[in-house]
Amino acid sequence: MNQDKIKPDVVVPQISLIKTLLLMLPMMFLTFAILTQGKLPSDPKSLFAMVITYLFINATFFMLLYTGKTDKFRSIFFITYAVLFVVSFITHLIEIRGSMAVSQANMLQGETPFCHIVIPMTLIPLAFTRTIIFPGTIIGSFASIASMFVLWIGVTLALGRGFCSWGCFFGGLDDGFSRILKRPVIKNINFNWTYLPYAVLIAVVLTAAISLSPTYCAWLCPYKTVTEFVEVTSFKILMQTIIFVSLFIGLVIILPILTRRRIQCGLFCPFGAFQSFTNKINVFEVRIDKEKCVKCKRCIQACPTFSLSEEVWEKGKTRISCTKCGKCIDSCLKKAIFFHLKGTPLSGNQRIYRILFLYPAFLFLATLAGGNIQDGMMKIIRLITTGSMFIH
Amino acid sequence: MLGEGKGVVQNCAVIAQFLFGRLFGYLIFGVIAWGINRSILQAVGYREFIIGLAYVVLSVFLICYAFFRVRTSCVVQKLTGIVGRMKNTIPLFLPLFLGFFTGLSFCPPFLLALTSAADKGGLTQSILFFFMFFLGTSVFFIPAPFVGLLRSFSVMSTIGKLAAGLVGIYYLYSGIIMLMVGIKRI
Repeated sequence: MNQDKIKPDVVVPQISLIKTLLLMLPMMFLTFAILTQGKLPSDPKSLFAMVITYLFINATFFMLLYTGKTDKFRSIFFITYAVLFVVSFITHLIEIRGSMAVSQANMLQGETPFCHIVIPMTLIPLAFTRTIIFPGTIIGSFASIASMFVLWIGVTLALGRGFCSWGCFFGGLDDGFSRILKRPVIKNINFNWTYLPYAVLIAVVLTAAISLSPTYCAWLCPYKTVTEFVEVTSFKILMQTIIFVSLFIGLVIILPILTRRRIQCGLFCPFGAFQSFTNKINVFEVRIDKEKCVKCKRCIQACPTFSLSEEVWEKGKTRISCTKCGKCIDSCLKKAIFFHLKGTPLSGNQRIYRILFLYPAFLFLATLAGGNIQDGMMKIIRLITTGSMFIH
Repeated sequence: MLGEGKGVVQNCAVIAQFLFGRLFGYLIFGVIAWGINRSILQAVGYREFIIGLAYVVLSVFLICYAFFRVRTSCVVQKLTGIVGRMKNTIPLFLPLFLGFFTGLSFCPPFLLALTSAADKGGLTQSILFFFMFFLGTSVFFIPAPFVGLLRSFSVMSTIGKLAAGLVGIYYLYSGIIMLMVGIKRI
């Protein structure tokens, strides 16, 4: 069917202004508590950064509720979060270590921040050797292993693979690059590539178990380019650096721009593949009303992680790789795709399902992003006012 | 056997026997790999060269196997006659024997694993390596008891081949590095 000929259903605000404001109140209170942690900063610059962050978070949530557009406002927040996370993380490392590079001494001291992508690789060695194969600290330090595990379990129970669009501090980077062009240059991608993340998962989990080292982090993780990496002291580390930088340029920048899809998240990330299985136990899902659907395929073209196809349309729901970003829902002119709560009738109130999903999803995003946005903004303010991002 | 329409419990028993047989076959090769290390590799002077060369050749086979259509022979297919006779004589433990024989299948991933295990020093490491190999090659059997014959076998096959390709690239790199070290020493 020709997409241009489809008339959209009349767009009205999802919820009235008063109801929206009422629904905002708990979020306003919770985000205030999260950002202040019971105490307002005394430094005017920090206070300014905090106020801006608070207003940004709540303005985003207001627009999410009031307009009914999910991905449009989620993506603004998500991309801002990813960019400011990078700013905050790099400046933090340079302040405490003097460099983005991790030396052997730093690793021996367990100073490497732990990241959720390592989790699948740690499970088999943990079961057999009772050791976590990562040079980080269990508890107490910046990005400790325990805090990341707790965070992951919480988000997994609440959102399943929604983590990849509502929590992952890296996902916003390829999400951002995938929105640069208005139309994709590369349109036809062989569907078999969507199985690559599962293959990467198997390969890295087994090689990590055999070598008792996090092989994905050492060899493949493209995000090391914008966070931290091992100091180049040998030919092997040089090769690893060339590989992960190339992957970053290819999978996070160039291919997302050319395809308008989240290539790293949808076609490579082993954590994403691992997290896909958690969609099975999560209560939220995205469903298709086949009676309303006019098969325009807008949603299939919009899906950034290849989670919609004509085959899955028959089943009336997305593939397990769905990150619940809401892009397909925003793109549907007939409102035939919607968030749904498993175990409830499909004919139920879609607005209520959406709000029930948005609350935990946005709260997680705000909790994870709040501190990073505030800190990143603080660093930028410092750069503007003093000419340097760092505390000397 | 899984397609005979038995229940999930019976299918689980068949799969468990099959996997146990496979594991047994692999563990034997863990011991053999250790034996190769202790005898041949310790005796010759070009250890890195031999292992590196084996890595390169076998990883190229593995990459071809992953990304191109290559017909691989299955040991069990060649044993159809024997299997038929066994089905009549020892039907109860047939999956165990079938699992054991598939464990002895000399496919590119298996030969590469054997080389890698032979490169390891101790017996425990060799056995652990083959145990991991067993785990990695057994994940495809997890849905089997629930769906009888693997309904989504083509998907599993695609994932398996892609994973084999990735591991092949890793071993190709390791092989080239080892070969360079070996050539330097010669």
